Order: sequence, then structure tokens, then C-alpha cells
Amino acid sequence: MHLIWEELRVAVPLIWHGNPYLLSIIWFTLKVAAVATAIATVIGLPIALALALGRFPGRQFLRMLANASLVLPPVLVGAILYLLMTVQAPLGPLRLIWTREAVFIAQTILALPFIVALSAAAIQALPEGLLSQARLLGAGRRQLSILALREARIGVIAAVIAALGTSLSEVAAVTIIGGNIYGYDQTLASATLFEVDGAHYADALAIAIVLIVMILILMCALGLLQQQSDGIRMRFRSAT
Amino acid sequence: MSYVWDQIRAAIPLITHGNPYLMNLLWVSIRVALISTSAALVIGLPLGLALGLGRFRGRRTLQILANASLALPSVVVGIALLLLLLPGGAFGSLQIEFTLPAVYIAQAILALPYIVALTPAAIQGLPPGLLAQARALGAGRVQLSLLALREAKIGLLAAVIAAAGATIAEVGAVVIIGGNFEGQDQTLASGLMDQFNYTGHQPLVTAIAIMLLALILAMAGVLTVIQQRTGGIRLRFRTAA
Repeated sequence: MHLIWEELRVAVPLIWHGNPYLLSIIWFTLKVAAVATAIATVIGLPIALALALGRFPGRQFLRMLANASLVLPPVLVGAILYLLMTVQAPLGPLRLIWTREAVFIAQTILALPFIVALSAAAIQALPEGLLSQARLLGAGRRQLSILALREARIGVIAAVIAALGTSLSEVAAVTIIGGNIYGYDQTLASATLFEVDGAHYADALAIAIVLIVMILILMCALGLLQQQSDGIRMRFRSAT
Repeated sequence: MSYVWDQIRAAIPLITHGNPYLMNLLWVSIRVALISTSAALVIGLPLGLALGLGRFRGRRTLQILANASLALPSVVVGIALLLLLLPGGAFGSLQIEFTLPAVYIAQAILALPYIVALTPAAIQGLPPGLLAQARALGAGRVQLSLLALREAKIGLLAAVIAAAGATIAEVGAVVIIGGNFEGQDQTLASGLMDQFNYTGHQPLVTAIAIMLLALILAMAGVLTVIQQRTGGIRLRFRTAA
């Protein structure tokens, strides 16, 4: 246990005294997680609604595809984006590679499957009668969507939290597409990798501790939400 | 799009001719997936069963904890394990830092939450009467566990797919604990990441990416086929009971 204590003794003061490099990474990580998740939610929710409520041919296949995209390795997403963004590639003229913008794009793409697949699943899990009754009562597409989102809100929020979680802890695509440039486009996860490469284990540990604390806060929120959802479901049952 | 197309055309021969570097990456990835997922199953199934079937105090809290561990960042696992395995660390005397066994351990740790958290979820999704009936008929702990596992096979295999997927796709811990040494402990995923350290030989990037995708799909495909063959077993059980 010797080594881990020694490194902790150096790492904890780094966090405690608000090392400016650490603070800048924290700030950038939060920004990436918030922006990527927000964009993914705006794009993903309409897709999830269409998948869950739509009645068009091939929706079963598209749902399967959405579920499959959850297991897409981030390193693969990074490689594909690289092949699209590198100098000679189709998106090369935009000069996105190794920029902060590229990091935002990569994390948005990685957050999208969580929003689409998990929200669609939550909407599909609603009591069967609910939506068909609304349809029968003449609800339009927009009213139906709002009703579905409101009723499935716990599942949708859980999807958003899952998306935030990946944005915080994902390392592969960020490193490939952002280049892991010191003090520029590093997130907590990619900076951990960077410091380990340089054998600065105390710095790596400090960053990792901040990362795990953020994840824990997020997961506590999810846990609370799950407990609440039991209450809500009960209330729903007794009302019918 | 002709650029992307050219890349793919250049990559295909590398795969079909069995480029030795590529084949080594594939072999390491397969070994890591098999060994780490098996280890996670051996350790995780009893824990998952205890959470799913047990009736002890604090079970709910433990289950929330297990769910939270699904979000464990791979780089955190990597750095924590590294500090334990380096000389001077608690397990430094094993001298396995930057080796393949260390990678097995790291990926098993990352796969474990899927088994521990998703097994109880699958068991709790069973028809409520089933297990209570078995209990009432005097099933012991072992019999009850076997019954639960057999009945929850679909959810269980979904957990195995997720766990094996993580062992194949994760790079954060592999890179840190294995040191990403070419030909020794590089997996397809970490090998792919390594290509970008020296602005990669791009056909190789595409070739590794294709093989990684193929491996994930093959793993998910095989396990899905096994998963979908549950129907017969459940029917047999129902008619026998």
C-alpha cells in the first residue's frame, strides 16, 4: 500500500489548493459534458420519439440498430471521425482535427446512442393503454410526443445521466480526435492518460480522483431518481 | 468520399493476407475477451445471485452501488491498478505491471459491474410466482440459484454481451496498465489508438477498425444465438413442473 499512500499525499493537496491546470481541465470537461449532452438530447429525443411512437415500416430494424449503437467502441468512433476529418479527407477543409470543436463533436456522437436507445426504451415501456387512449381522444403528433415525454420522464432523465457519464469518462475518441493537447483540449479522462504517459502518477491520481467524484455525484442523482420512480409508479397504479 | 473508399480498398488486403501484426492484435483481443469475461463471470455470478435472490438488510443499497459501478471510468481503474502493481505498490512483488496478465485483471474489473448489476436485474424481471413457488416446494439455495439462472438466461446473456463488449472495446485501462506494448499486450482497441501516436499508417488504421468492428459483431452474434435458444429449455421446465 506504500506507493498509493505516497502518491495520495501529493495528489490530495493538488486538488485541495485548486491547481490551475487541474481547474482548467475540470472546467473544460464540464463544458464538453454539458454541451455534448445538450446537443445529443436535442437531436436524439425526436429520433427516440419517432422510433418509439412512429408506425412506419422498418422501425423494428431501426430500434435494433439504435440498441446496437450502444456497444459501438468509442475508439472506433474516434478512428472513423479521424478518417473523415484528416487533411485529405472529405471534412478535411473544415480543419477540425485536433481542435476543441472536434472534441465536442466526438462526445456528442458518443452521447447520442444513449439518448436515442434509452429514451425510446423508456417510452415503449409506458403502460400500453396510455398512448393509444390519447391517440383515440384525438391527440396530434405533438401532443402525443409531449405526453410520452412527460410520462417517461424518469427514463429520459436516466438516459441523459448515462450520456453525461460517458461524456465525462470516455477517453478514446477524445484522445484520437482531439490529440490530447496539454492545457488545450484535455478532459479529465484524457488528461489522466497523458499524465500516466509522462509517469506523473500523483497528477494522474489527482485527476482520477476528481473524475471519480464527479461520476459518483452523477450516480447518486441516478440512484435517487430510481428510488423516486418507484414512488411515482405506485402513485400511477393507485390512480387507475 | 473517394478518400475513405481508397482507405478501405487499401485495408482489405492487409486483413485477407493475414498481416502478422493484425493477427497478433486479434489473438490478444480474443484471449482478453475470453479470460477477462470468464473471470468476471466466476466472481460476479455469485455476487449477482446474492443480490438478486438474497433477502438481507442493505440489499437495495448494495444494488444501487452495483448499478453505480457500471459508470466506473476505465482510466480510473487503470491508474488505481497501476499504483497497486508498480514496484513499491501493494502487489508490486508480482511484477506483472505492463504485461498481459495485468491487462486480463484490468478488463475483468471493468467487466465485473455488468455481471454483478445486470444479473439481479434479470432475476428480478422473472415472473414473481416462479421463485417463490420453488422456495415453497423446498428448493435449496443451490437449486434456487440454478433455476434463477436458467430462467433469467436472456437477461444474463445480455449482461455477458455487455461485459465481453467492454473487455474488447475499452482502452483506458489497457493502455495504462499494459503500457500498450506492440506484439505483447496490445489489443485491437489499444492498437488502434496507438496508430494515432505517430499520425498513423492509414490503411492499417482502417484495417484495425474493420477487424475491431467484426470482432464485436461476431461476439454479439454468437452470444445472441445462444441467448435466443432459451425457448426450448423454458418450455421443458414448464411442462415438467
